[in-house]
Amino acid sequence: MAKDGEKSDWKEFLWNPRTREFLGRTASSWGLIFLFYLIFYTCLAGMFALTMYVMLQTLDEHRPTWQDRLSTPGLVIRPRADDTFEIVYTKEDTESWDLYAQTLDKFLQPYNDSLQAQKNHECAPDKYFIQEDSGEVKNNPKRSCQFNRTVLQSCSGIDDRYYGYREGQPCIIIKLNRVIGLLPGKDNQAPYVTCAAKKYRVGKDQWKDDADKIGELIYFPPNGTINSMYFPYYGKKAQVNYSQPLVAVKFLNITHNEDVNIECKINAENIPVGGERDKFAGRVSFKLRINSKN
Amino acid sequence: MSVEEVCRKFQTDLVQGLTNAKAAEFLLRDGPNALTPPPTTPEWVKFCRQLFGGFSILLWTGAILCFLAYAIQAATEDEPAGDNLYLGIVLTAVVVITGCFSYFQEAKSSKIMESFKNMVPQQALVIREGEKVQINAEEVVAGDLIEVKGGDRIPADIRVTSAHGCKVDNSSLTGESEPQSRSPDCTHDNPLETRNVAFFSTNCVEGTARGIVICTGDRTVMGRIATLTSGLETGKTPIAVEIEHFIHIITGVAVFLGVTFFILAIILGYTWLEAVIFLIGIIVANVPEGLLATVTVCLTLTAKRMAKKNCLVKNLEAVETLGSTSTICSDKTGTLTQNRMTVAHMWFDNQIHEADTTEDQSGAAFDKSSVTWLSLSRVAALCNRAQFKAGQDSVSILKRDVAGDASESALLKCIELSCGSVRMMRDKNKKVAEIPFNSTNKYQLSVHETEDPNDNRYLLVMKGAPERILDRCSTIMLQGKEQPMDEEMKEAFQNAYMELGGLGERVLGFCHLLLPEDQYPKGFAFDTDDVNFQTDNLCFVGLMSMIDPPRAAVPDAVGKCRSAGIKVIMVTGDHPITAKAIAKGVGIISEGNETVEDIAARLNIPVSQVNPRDAKACVIHGSDLKDLSQDQMDDILRNHTEIVFARTSPQQKLIIVEGCQRLGAIVAVTGDGVNDSPALKKADIGVAMGISGSDVSKQAADMILLDDNFASIVTGVEEGRLIFDNLKKSIAYTLTSNIPEITPFLFFIIVNIPLPLGTITILCIDLGTDMVPAISLAYEAAESDIMKRQPRNPSRDKLVNERLISIAYGQIGMIQALGGFFSYFVILAENGFLPSQLVGIRLNWDDRSLNDLEDSYGQQWYRKKIKIILIDMYACIYVDMFLALICGASKRRNKILIFGLFEETALAAFLSYCPGMDVALRMYPLKPTWWFCAFPYSFLIFVYDEARKLILRRNPGGWVEKETYY
Repeated sequence: MAKDGEKSDWKEFLWNPRTREFLGRTASSWGLIFLFYLIFYTCLAGMFALTMYVMLQTLDEHRPTWQDRLSTPGLVIRPRADDTFEIVYTKEDTESWDLYAQTLDKFLQPYNDSLQAQKNHECAPDKYFIQEDSGEVKNNPKRSCQFNRTVLQSCSGIDDRYYGYREGQPCIIIKLNRVIGLLPGKDNQAPYVTCAAKKYRVGKDQWKDDADKIGELIYFPPNGTINSMYFPYYGKKAQVNYSQPLVAVKFLNITHNEDVNIECKINAENIPVGGERDKFAGRVSFKLRINSKN
Repeated sequence: MSVEEVCRKFQTDLVQGLTNAKAAEFLLRDGPNALTPPPTTPEWVKFCRQLFGGFSILLWTGAILCFLAYAIQAATEDEPAGDNLYLGIVLTAVVVITGCFSYFQEAKSSKIMESFKNMVPQQALVIREGEKVQINAEEVVAGDLIEVKGGDRIPADIRVTSAHGCKVDNSSLTGESEPQSRSPDCTHDNPLETRNVAFFSTNCVEGTARGIVICTGDRTVMGRIATLTSGLETGKTPIAVEIEHFIHIITGVAVFLGVTFFILAIILGYTWLEAVIFLIGIIVANVPEGLLATVTVCLTLTAKRMAKKNCLVKNLEAVETLGSTSTICSDKTGTLTQNRMTVAHMWFDNQIHEADTTEDQSGAAFDKSSVTWLSLSRVAALCNRAQFKAGQDSVSILKRDVAGDASESALLKCIELSCGSVRMMRDKNKKVAEIPFNSTNKYQLSVHETEDPNDNRYLLVMKGAPERILDRCSTIMLQGKEQPMDEEMKEAFQNAYMELGGLGERVLGFCHLLLPEDQYPKGFAFDTDDVNFQTDNLCFVGLMSMIDPPRAAVPDAVGKCRSAGIKVIMVTGDHPITAKAIAKGVGIISEGNETVEDIAARLNIPVSQVNPRDAKACVIHGSDLKDLSQDQMDDILRNHTEIVFARTSPQQKLIIVEGCQRLGAIVAVTGDGVNDSPALKKADIGVAMGISGSDVSKQAADMILLDDNFASIVTGVEEGRLIFDNLKKSIAYTLTSNIPEITPFLFFIIVNIPLPLGTITILCIDLGTDMVPAISLAYEAAESDIMKRQPRNPSRDKLVNERLISIAYGQIGMIQALGGFFSYFVILAENGFLPSQLVGIRLNWDDRSLNDLEDSYGQQWYRKKIKIILIDMYACIYVDMFLALICGASKRRNKILIFGLFEETALAAFLSYCPGMDVALRMYPLKPTWWFCAFPYSFLIFVYDEARKLILRRNPGGWVEKETYY
């Protein structure tokens, strides 16, 4: 009985023929409330659009308002490691490293000497390539310096199509994240990249590193230097063809069949190294494991 | 049953009492002579109820899902992110902490109750094996021979076997304050009416009696009422219903949104795990975690405030109930009246004089110079056995304790007040002989020496039922002179008697006579048993009438209740005439309103010819009530605004309450006696009296008036209404923050923008920054019309209605959400990520291996840094701040609210700037300018709400009110 009552209550709530109410409101009531919300939301949307428009007007086209989060740029390696930052492959198993070689091929494509010569400017090395705007007149587009693939020598993939992966002497390419206006190094002392065994924790207050396993390293360009002429960066709009400078590291005799933890970092006086927590500030770490069947 | 039968039945002896062995046997059989306490819910059940009630289930679900997600992650990934684990732990902590909080709040208020329990064990004097022994009342068994004397509490229901001037005060059982005499004779078939039974827990006022225990413990009349009380199921309090309703709505929305977006997420190609995490996020965003704690705190604050005003609330939720009350059924004795017989009127010199009955003697005085008055006061003082208990000289006369029956005490106090020490008067006029009052002669008489030592005459003074006194008088004293009693005077007497009686007052007649010295020389032996002196042809002095006068504050309080739309019904065990007189006195029957009988009397037509609809007021006798059908009852309750029920039994009180509730009213019952307790329990809110109330009634009540003053109820009503209004504001405030919390999730899922507001941050808002402003709204002052409007209709005026939701979610919440989103876009854009780039960026944004995410300017970000800029929450809070200002946009300044807003800002600033917060809560310092991003939106909210209110005021009843007034 009570259930019936409830049911009819519901029915009446849904459509009450007596008062011609649908869900407790008449058509005109629904119309009014609908109209109200329509106007209300239109006004809100208008206001939102207006504030957004005003906000966008205040932004500079070439340089973001705040860069304080980027005072220490990050380092990135190629080939790109997966989530766990591991590069693991088996020397004899072509398939296991082929993808890495392909990634590097693709990555280095824009750095081909011919392309660079075509698009970019040959700058004077060892000093910042500054192209200031003269007052209101924007000096755009800005030119970019060439970074030729050949500079990477045996890691360029020109002589050795497999970047040393086949021999168990893999190349890792390192780049510094672009930050507009960043001038790394001081007194034209160019920043450089070094890689070393990473200290890692094995127990409480027990640290270990794989220094004995890392073997000999060779950097391209020599000493892992990033030439000052590639700085500053003027942003994607002004400097369309900017070529990000690269450093390649080749592991000549790394211990096989074992995990080797490596950390590379940028050395420049005016780039603060991030704290212990910030694993990517001015550095990058990864694990390299080359399996070998003999 | 005769005494012998009783003895036989209980195998006892009228002189020797029970044997010890028998008593032990009976004790074993019947159990101790005590009321079984009402069953209490075990503490852990109460705790669990707090832990799993309300939103807790939803949050538990969220927490379990979190743990599940973490377990899956832990099983499938090497380095599972701890987020879900932490969130699960935090959610669990939130539920447990709010649960504990509510539990302790409840426990605190229920502890107050325990202090009321009377722990002193009662003693009883029993005769066992012929010896009088003092034992604990608990050990009394049926069949025990018991002796009680004045001042004792009767330990069980006893059949009186012998009595000497024994009077018992049955007021706690029947509500009648008049002590009743007890004697061995059966006077009535109804055990409740008969003279030979004295009841458990009533008081013996004077005299002594001996009787056989016939019932103990729960089987006593009192026990049966107590059992009836504890057996009653009480419904939920109105506020509990409202909160439940509200929880249903919110849970419905949360589940609906959660499931919809779970399915949507699956369809959009998210993994199961991600979809579950979204589900958690939506649930957490939807549930106002802090709200129930806020409500509890608000109620507690009000309860405290009420306790200060002498309303002690046992059950927190009852705080609001009084505010919703639409009918108050009030007991008369002790609640509306002072529960103290007081002389109200006097008739002498053929004129009615009014005595001062107010509690503080502020009323009018009468002419005390008349010689008749002196004689009258002398009679009243001398023919009076009451006396003040010792050691009360510092207490004001009206408040002193008196040994003696109520009307004699009234006379004593009256004389003491107007003529000075009665004791001295009695000392001067030594009592020579006395005949105490008894029901057959209906008078009391005493013979005294006169004040004048030279006058050797004796003074005979007599008081009693006026008609009996009149019969014995041949003269009357007028202006100090004795005049013969003629027909004219007799008629004047009759008129005065009728008039005073009609006022519901108990009238006593007084007369005296100076006995002629020749017949009764000094030293005459007055024999009171075989009356050997003149007791007629006396000189009539005057009438004095007594009433239990209404409390001073009551008429005003009743008036306030009436203007607040609350119907006040008097339900009493007393006589209809007295009840009606008091009802008229306190305004329950307002001036000019007549009962059917009044109309009949005025128009001089039979009662049956009067249209009952013409009479707004009515007085209903308990015996008539018995014959009424349910429909008739409803009819009476509906059609009469001013009702007095007289001579009602506990059962009938219950019926009246149920009748009112059937008509949809929320009923408050006030009472102090055991007879009220079933009604107290049944009522939506039972209000017991703290001073005069019996333990059983306090147990059954939800609220206790510490000062026994009906006027405190009005305070309660006001506070209750206020808290309802303020809770609405609190809830509206809390609910608005739901939209800015949910929308980020929805946009995150649908258009793949980076998640603006993390789940933990939502918890921070709900439990941290939002709570104090929400609570501070409980301090909002009342609107001026709060006691002028009708009580809310529980079926229509909901705590949370669609209009509140519409405003909180659809309007203010939307503005807030836009403000939040605006600040989010500003912060990201100023860091280099323009809005156009954000849509769809989520995959790269959340890709843990991508450390060179490019922004709109070509800069590259590594992962940790992009996370840092997700700090939208403060913008939301900022808008919130202003919202609170508006919700409370009180005409008056609410200091607590302002404090709340400062607290909110300070806490927000702390969360934002305190070092370490980036790790703990993923919050990062904000640029000062970002605090002002949402300012236009705050301003909009302010303007919008003010405009709404302005329209509401300008255009009452218009469309805006219909759609937006909550």
